[in-house]
Amino acid sequence: MGLLDHIWLGIVTVFTADPMFSILGLPISTTIVMVILGFLGGIFVGATPGIGGPFAMAISLPILISIFGFNPDALLPVLGFLVGIMKGSTIGGAVPAILFNTPGTPDSLMTTLDGYPMTKKGKPGKALRIAHFSSVSGDTFSDIVLITCAPFLAILVEKFLDFPEKAALIILSLAFVSAVVGANVWKGLVAAFLGMFMAYIGTGEDGYSRLSLGNDDLAGGFPLISAVLGVLIIGEVFKALEEMWREMRETAAITNIEATGDQKLRLSDIRRILPFIGISASIGTMVGALPGIGSTLAATLGYATGRKVYKGDTPFGEGAPEGIAATEAANSAVAGANLIPVLSLGIPGNVSAVFILLATETISGFNPGPAVFRLVPDQINQEMVYAFGLFTAMIFANGLNWTFGGVFMRWMGVMVKIPKQRLLPIVLLLTLTAIYVQQTSMFAVYVTLGFGLLGYVMRKLRISVLPFVIAFILANNLEEAMRQAFAVTGADPWFLFASPISITFIALAVVVVIFFARNQKDLS
Amino acid sequence: MQKAPWTVGLALFLALGSLLTLFIWIPNDIETGVIETFRRRVTIGDAMAPTMMAIGILTVSILMGVLAIVRPEPYSKGVKEGLDKHSLSFLLRLTIAIGLGLALMIHTGPLVVDLVNLLGGDLGSYRLQKATFPYKYIGYITGGFVMVFGVIRVVENRFTASAAWVSIFAVIVMTILYDVPFDNLLLPPNGN
Repeated sequence: MGLLDHIWLGIVTVFTADPMFSILGLPISTTIVMVILGFLGGIFVGATPGIGGPFAMAISLPILISIFGFNPDALLPVLGFLVGIMKGSTIGGAVPAILFNTPGTPDSLMTTLDGYPMTKKGKPGKALRIAHFSSVSGDTFSDIVLITCAPFLAILVEKFLDFPEKAALIILSLAFVSAVVGANVWKGLVAAFLGMFMAYIGTGEDGYSRLSLGNDDLAGGFPLISAVLGVLIIGEVFKALEEMWREMRETAAITNIEATGDQKLRLSDIRRILPFIGISASIGTMVGALPGIGSTLAATLGYATGRKVYKGDTPFGEGAPEGIAATEAANSAVAGANLIPVLSLGIPGNVSAVFILLATETISGFNPGPAVFRLVPDQINQEMVYAFGLFTAMIFANGLNWTFGGVFMRWMGVMVKIPKQRLLPIVLLLTLTAIYVQQTSMFAVYVTLGFGLLGYVMRKLRISVLPFVIAFILANNLEEAMRQAFAVTGADPWFLFASPISITFIALAVVVVIFFARNQKDLS
Repeated sequence: MQKAPWTVGLALFLALGSLLTLFIWIPNDIETGVIETFRRRVTIGDAMAPTMMAIGILTVSILMGVLAIVRPEPYSKGVKEGLDKHSLSFLLRLTIAIGLGLALMIHTGPLVVDLVNLLGGDLGSYRLQKATFPYKYIGYITGGFVMVFGVIRVVENRFTASAAWVSIFAVIVMTILYDVPFDNLLLPPNGN
């Protein structure tokens, strides 16, 4: 079976497998319904300040797995829903940023700089349309790069990397994430080491589960979903609640501004913003393809670059449509590209990618990595079919974004009125319930709260949680790669330096750490 | 520029923790060594990965601590790091709200069943009733309500009727979301 056969099977699976209902005799598949629901939910949560795409992905993943189960049939509906959330929340985040000067997600912080001044000038409709057009353009560009690059990169990895090189590549990725994310390289490295250490508790090849202190619950290890959701979501909820507790009395009134004049997106507007979209989409895609650098940095870089090349009348920061375009195209372009390291290497680069990988780790039948794109003569590689199914779901979500996204986005302005201090306690209970429903164990709930406390303390000590989470997820892959590499090199203790490629990866890891340690960032 | 006492404290804590792990926890709680030889076949043992991580934490924390002393991080004034007494006060309040919610979630159902039995009912143990309406919902709704309402109370620092309504509405919606459409899903604590 060739590549085209797999692409076609992926498309057919998304559109025809397991129809949920029919419209005018046309069967509508479960995956399509899930992409639509995820997309609408994504816009909803993106437009709600205080919760964003990762929150929604975290809460919905255990629910989805409970509904669809662990069989491979569940893969595309679950991944479709997560992709829908990812896409929807990206455009949703711009709504409160433009209308109320309140970024719905951290990515849209820079959107407030020009979006809100445009609203104050009576152009909220035009600002929202510019944000939508730029966001969807950036996202589509990024998806095209993902679809063309991920299989190519995976084939290269599969061809040239053996176990020692794969172990070295994981080490390089972790070093990169630790060094780049957060303000202090050493804290990032500590977080990564700690994440891996905790993943090793209750695991191992021996009959006795290592480091389990003789405890039966610990002997099974910390549930992956509890650790990830605890540190990422519960830790963030605790911190946000504390901030609100401290600042409860500093409330700001929302002023209503009447829309006046032309609100439409004209061809002349598109011509003005297209160069900025092009630059920012390229920046966002490059940033997204590197592990650990999030969409917030992409938005900042896109905005800064846009400001440098801008020569218009209205300065950036005072309501320039180009400013919105530069920010939104950059942060949206991260979404597709951050799946490149996931699908080709099995290494997640940011929080959204962590949840995609978590879904594939939980549901059987799809293990992201170089083997996904391996062509076997006269056989169907089901994993490749799922990968192209995922790409199809992403393209379908983009289609929704282009056609209906703008309308739904403009309806969501009302979400900013939901008080965050009432929403986050509900998110807390919803997360704990979702964990219990999937794990059916109070131990998993306690572990989630424990990791939540750890995530809270890490944030208070300005230790980035992303290296911890990614290291926790990759720990067993690294150990397995090292065991295999040790075995295939005939118990060579220097197996990490056995080939020029692995030496290069290890050297790069050292260089990245030293480079970022010497150029420490200002923590403010 | 300002000094970062929390970074130095964190480095000391991690260094001490990793030393204890290396010399006490790992040797006593892992049954295979760093390298294992079985029938002349040499393999990596279960102790290898945790040992490497503990050495990594020890090395990096020493570096982090020393650098925090000799080359303080370039904080601007006003940047806060670490936990102060307000953080601890908040955590205590939050722990009470969440702990009370969880305790009620686990124990309310069995307590109600025991009470009905005491009043002449013949329900048997909670285990027999945990799939039966209304007993299967009592713990989750009571505990969930107290948790959500309690956390809102902590943040808003006052009891309000609207917060109570929001809490009860949210818990009922979650109950309906999980339990009504899916026979195989169990709300806490019914799966234990």
